[in-house]
Amino acid sequence: MGIVTDITFYVGAALYVIATVVALRFLRSEKPAMLEMAERLLFAGMAFLVVSFVVRWAQWGRVPLTTMTDSLSLFAVLSGLVVVTVLRQCGMRPLLSVYLPPLTAIVLFATATAHRNLHAAPKELSGIVLIIHVGLALLAYALFFVASMTSFVYLSQAHRLKHHRAAAFAHRLPSLEELDRLLFRLVGYGYPLFVATLTLGLIWAWFDRALLGHYWWLAPKVILSYVMAGFYAATFHLRRIGRLRGPKLATLVFIGFTVLILGYMVLSVMNLRWHFFWSSGT
Amino acid sequence: MNLVVVGLSHHTSPLELRERLAFSNAELPSALLRLHKGLGGAGVVILSTCNRVEIYTHHTMEPDELRKEIRFFLSESHCVPEEAFRDALYEYENREAVGHLFRVASSLDSMVVGEVQILGQVHDAYIAAQAEQTADKVIHALFQKAFTVAKNVRTQTTIGEGKVSVSSVAVDLAESIFQTLSGKTVMVIGSGEMAELTLKSLVSRGVRSVLIVNRNAERARALAEPYNGEAIAFEELNNHLHRAEIVMSATAAPRFILHPPSFHHALKLRGQQPMFVIDIAVPRDVDPSVAEIDNVYLYNIDDLEHVVAENLELRRKEIDRSMELVEHGVNQFMQWKDTLVAEPTFVSMTEELNTIRERELERTLKALPDLTETQRQEVAALSKRIVKNILQRSMVEIKHEIGHHDPHTVLHLVKRFFGLRETT
Repeated sequence: MGIVTDITFYVGAALYVIATVVALRFLRSEKPAMLEMAERLLFAGMAFLVVSFVVRWAQWGRVPLTTMTDSLSLFAVLSGLVVVTVLRQCGMRPLLSVYLPPLTAIVLFATATAHRNLHAAPKELSGIVLIIHVGLALLAYALFFVASMTSFVYLSQAHRLKHHRAAAFAHRLPSLEELDRLLFRLVGYGYPLFVATLTLGLIWAWFDRALLGHYWWLAPKVILSYVMAGFYAATFHLRRIGRLRGPKLATLVFIGFTVLILGYMVLSVMNLRWHFFWSSGT
Repeated sequence: MNLVVVGLSHHTSPLELRERLAFSNAELPSALLRLHKGLGGAGVVILSTCNRVEIYTHHTMEPDELRKEIRFFLSESHCVPEEAFRDALYEYENREAVGHLFRVASSLDSMVVGEVQILGQVHDAYIAAQAEQTADKVIHALFQKAFTVAKNVRTQTTIGEGKVSVSSVAVDLAESIFQTLSGKTVMVIGSGEMAELTLKSLVSRGVRSVLIVNRNAERARALAEPYNGEAIAFEELNNHLHRAEIVMSATAAPRFILHPPSFHHALKLRGQQPMFVIDIAVPRDVDPSVAEIDNVYLYNIDDLEHVVAENLELRRKEIDRSMELVEHGVNQFMQWKDTLVAEPTFVSMTEELNTIRERELERTLKALPDLTETQRQEVAALSKRIVKNILQRSMVEIKHEIGHHDPHTVLHLVKRFFGLRETT
């Protein structure tokens, strides 16, 4: 990694950590200024990660989207944007304290693997199709991530109300109805993006066999992606017709994203590669 | 000058006694003026609510004398012998009196700690004193500070959070389940004071339609009428259950009238949208196993009272933090009040320095006859600025010293330093 990439990447990650600490302090002090500061720090962190991304792109001459660290850092930026936009639109800004810690954990995971992973992408993997394919996928994951965090908040609120322990916290959290609607909207936006990603990948693989080989559809990540697409399709449809709502929907959305993200991470850590076919093909 | 408060409250006296000593809104202006005149122009505020009657005074009189006068005033105003209320009275002076008012205004001395009405009542008492011009400079400052402290307690602690009545807790819980109550439907099964109170609170928060279910059709229609509601026969209950987001049951039935299958059916028809069920009947109307159904939130009277108790406990936990804010406010006020003793000295200092300034200015101008009018004015302005600077700096330091040492010793030294007469 170049010195500029190094500095901007690690400063970005550090800003996510500081933003999280400030957001958590808000839970104690309940001062709106804390939230303001956490948001600004988050924006600064996102800006540094974007600069690091752009510098890598300029250095290598190819879009840096092919390693786990690349993807996770861009995912952290997109998720940060989705979190801030959604919370502002829905008037739920205090929930930043709940949404930020897991996001920062993902950034830290990316940081821990940065030295191993931040290297130039192969020549074959570049171009506009890759950018659209990965960009759409990461945006869909960002929406699913925020949906899973919303599920967590929903389940906490529902648990307190069910067990009559609502007095201390209930008024600080959004109502179940608001959370349920937000959950539906997030899955509703994320699901078509996810399907579009898979469709584009399918077309790309079909027409570029020289790059991806004949057995691209046997890649573990491809199989996992199609299973998850089916899962989100079923979830979205059942919620739309009113058969699935409330704690069950929240639990499924939470489990769904956990399986999705952990699945990708495990595949990557086990060196089964995001798409093993291109590494063997080059 | 001494600040004294004499009063009685729900802590020290029964309602019957407080009623006898209370001042109605109509009586208050004349009572304020009588006490103000009777004490020779003392600062006076009378706080009279259903839970307390308190008289705040500021006067040169010794505290013991002042207390005696107030007791006499209370007795004479209401034709109640002093012996009848003497034991119920509490009497505080200066620092303790300030602390007491700050606690009262911050709702730390209220029957329901953290309630909001008391601040408005203290404010009204102060406004009444202002209107009758019975509040002097110290009383003004005291009450302004009390409002600031009360505001700090409310904003910097959670003492006012969480509802503490069963009906308001029910509304609070409904708002934790539904984004808004406007447009929602509430079903009331049976009748009762608590059910009606809760229904009123829900309607005031925007509930759109009311369904009244009763075994007696006439009674159902009568209950529904004030809310423009719909009366439903008891036998039809299960066919209409799905229409309501909030179900409140308060019948005298000896057995459960609502069972899980009714809710499973209702939820299916509602597309699994949540239902809030309030069972305030004793014995209970709703089978407790209904609570296990997803998207149904069941609260019986014990659960609601448990939430009330939890909220009260949370408020009690905030008392220590609130008391720190009160103590801080008392310190600030007492520091300010202590500096008032220096005011006559400051007046003398200003006069003395201005006399010196004018004398020296005259001498200087005589010695410089060639100065133009503009130059003479400039020299005069210079002398004024010098005196003003000296006075400002000295006063800040003197106030600071008074706050940390015996005020009389500090002022004695200041007077000697500036050559002022001891009588000031």
